[in-house]
Amino acid sequence: MKGPKIRFEKVLKAYGELKVLEDLDFHVDENEVVAIIGPSGSGKTTVLRVLMTLEGIQGGTIFVGDEPLNVMRKGDRLVPANRAHVRRIRSKIGMVFQSFNLFPHMTALENCIEAPVQTKGLSKSEATAESLELLAMVGLTDKRDHYPSQLSGGQQQRVAIARALAMRPEILLFDEPTSALDPEMVGEVLNVIRDLARSGHYTILLVTHQMGFAREVSDRVCFFDGGVMVEEGAPDDIFGNPQNDRLRHFLSKILEAT
Amino acid sequence: MAGRIIAVVALTAFLCGISFATFSELRIFLPAMLRGAVVTLQVSILSAVLFIVMSFLAGIAKDSGTRLVRWLAIGYIEVFRGTSLLVQLFWLYFVLPEFGIVLSPMMAGVLGVGLNFGAYGAEIVRGAMLAVPRGQQEASVALNLSDRACLIRIVIPQAVVVMIPGMTNLTIELIKATALVSAVTLVDITYASVQQNQLHYRTLEIFTITVMLYYCFAQFIRFGGSALEDRFSRHLRRGH
Repeated sequence: MKGPKIRFEKVLKAYGELKVLEDLDFHVDENEVVAIIGPSGSGKTTVLRVLMTLEGIQGGTIFVGDEPLNVMRKGDRLVPANRAHVRRIRSKIGMVFQSFNLFPHMTALENCIEAPVQTKGLSKSEATAESLELLAMVGLTDKRDHYPSQLSGGQQQRVAIARALAMRPEILLFDEPTSALDPEMVGEVLNVIRDLARSGHYTILLVTHQMGFAREVSDRVCFFDGGVMVEEGAPDDIFGNPQNDRLRHFLSKILEAT
Repeated sequence: MAGRIIAVVALTAFLCGISFATFSELRIFLPAMLRGAVVTLQVSILSAVLFIVMSFLAGIAKDSGTRLVRWLAIGYIEVFRGTSLLVQLFWLYFVLPEFGIVLSPMMAGVLGVGLNFGAYGAEIVRGAMLAVPRGQQEASVALNLSDRACLIRIVIPQAVVVMIPGMTNLTIELIKATALVSAVTLVDITYASVQQNQLHYRTLEIFTITVMLYYCFAQFIRFGGSALEDRFSRHLRRGH
């Protein structure tokens, strides 16, 4: 029996006095698709950000596979992870941002090949061949030479997904991938994410406000509030039979809005 | 019609006559002035190169994660921005020999102007780098790019667009500031003009020519700046 792909052990993330994540225990199995929902300020995006090492943590340990991310073994002691260690673990993780964060001075194709060429030692032609396949997969072959400013939001986000995939990650993090999009472009991005979720090749953590989509694609849904995981369970249980008051309140608010 | 032609011809002849009378003695002072212009160009080009290099070095170093590097940058910027260029030139040329470092006038001039303007440029470079959205660095981390690759491939190319107008301004300012190198015995265009004026008293012609030369140099930089801006902001325009 294999251990979980991602494991948080008593993780504490705080800005001064404010605790954003408090003693969080949390895990994701290999090739599992987990949706994280919750009100803003609940710490759900922070889970992704500390996992991607965009932010440090103040306590606890994060494991990727069976290796700790924020610390490393030195003899039989644990010491804070050095840069090489973090980069090695980080190479297994890819992230898609709410605001795309494409490199504006590079074309769609250049965005995709930049990191594989710089960090994986791929030749430009190898990286190009792979990236063209990925751009075809997200339906943007004809946009390969377009700059981000020439693409719609939905197209930019699909390029961003292809760019993340070009690094051949095992884990994919989606941070509200459709929140910055006009409504008519949400579908095209969700379709791509749905295909990735169903492929069974990736461990996926998805922070989203698209409840219908979360219910449809995820194996498990986690509800966060106030820096703690309040409830988790199968999508049908979470949405069909919520136990916790805060979750019920949250879902009714969402229902009101739509 | 004929009257108009005669009028034009007469006016042209008159202007030519005036110009000839005024500038007929050009050959007396022009060669000395052109030698001065060459010195101004030399100092300008060399110190502009130093200025740009120092701007980038100090601008990047000022936000370095290493404290020593950061302090060196701050020290450099504060010293060269906080004291006058003229005094810095005196220091380089007249004081350094006391410590056994003897610089040629050209070296002292180039070093003084380049280092002084680099201190101002550093803040422009730094400001431009801060203007690159935070998400760009986050994307670089998520793609596992090294800090170095992030800086060179992602941040600087985007920051260059932002820094060009400020750097163009400073470069034009730098050309005019090279007039101070006469303090270290270099005969640049300004000093040559003053000398020639003292010798020949052709004040109008001499200083008109000087002004025009500075203006030409500045225009050259201005067009260079906008060409660079065009080149680096291509991707920001829709539909090309």
